[in-house]
Amino acid sequence: MYDVVLACCRWLENTPWGATVRGSSWMYPIALWLHFVGLSMWLGTSLAVDLRLMGVGARRQTAAELSNGFFACNWIGFGVAFLGGFLLLSAEATTYVANTGFRLKLAVLTPLAMIWHLVVQRKIRLWTQTEQTSAIGKWAGLIELSLWISVVTASVGFLLTNAVIHA
Amino acid sequence: MWEVLQHAGWVTTLATSRGLYGLVSVVHYSTVFFGVGTIVLLDLRILGVADRDQHLSLLAEQLRPWTWMGFASAVFSGFLLFATEAGDFAAATPFRVKMLIIVLAVISALCIEWSVPKWDRAPVMPVTARLVALISIMLWLGAILVSVEIPALTGLG
Repeated sequence: MYDVVLACCRWLENTPWGATVRGSSWMYPIALWLHFVGLSMWLGTSLAVDLRLMGVGARRQTAAELSNGFFACNWIGFGVAFLGGFLLLSAEATTYVANTGFRLKLAVLTPLAMIWHLVVQRKIRLWTQTEQTSAIGKWAGLIELSLWISVVTASVGFLLTNAVIHA
Repeated sequence: MWEVLQHAGWVTTLATSRGLYGLVSVVHYSTVFFGVGTIVLLDLRILGVADRDQHLSLLAEQLRPWTWMGFASAVFSGFLLFATEAGDFAAATPFRVKMLIIVLAVISALCIEWSVPKWDRAPVMPVTARLVALISIMLWLGAILVSVEIPALTGLG
């Protein structure tokens, strides 16, 4: 199994874009910039809905209204974050997959958070039918918020222990 | 002055503890993404690209506490991270540029907060509103760009 993953990583590193990002002094920060810009949109919109579900900073709009209004920005943000992340990974894939924080982030926490995000987006109308968010809705918001923070935590762990230094 | 901060006891503890430094970094990244995300969302609404069904002032009212709580936490955690290499950061031109861009971006965000009730009453979104919103987006994009360039250019952070 791990051999297959490693083979894919080698392939990614040898793609034209992987080699370009790795070989250029300015492409790597630009890919990181893309990743962060996308994450600002993605996490800004996702966490706002989660906090609203939890009742933190609640105003006149329901969580479902916010989720609906932010839908486009939410997924455009994800697309941009994914593109940036994909370029970063392509440049140093074999080094990245050797890191525990990165494995945890990409193989476990991000898929979990994504699945939960989709569940929340589908069910949110059901949880906010009355004036008050239902108890399930509140817990769902807290769980999604915790999952994304765990993704950020694994990413920071990865950044602090990553052997690759870009100067 | 910054050198003194860098060598203070609590700063050394923070700088040498991977767990503490990591925790502060997690707070900084999360709150920056959240704060910038919610500000840009309001800018996009003013430009007429996002959440058009929602009244501008209602959306602004909803985002306000989140944006500024996020921003305050980002500044606090950012200051702690800055303290660990205060002398070097303060002397680095890219870091000074970052601080300047953030000050300008915050001024634009405050301008928008103050003007939202007026702009919401206008029959069409005023050109000034669109212009300020566009400037605000550009400033935040610039702030993120200079932030990722700081380690690339100076080796700090």
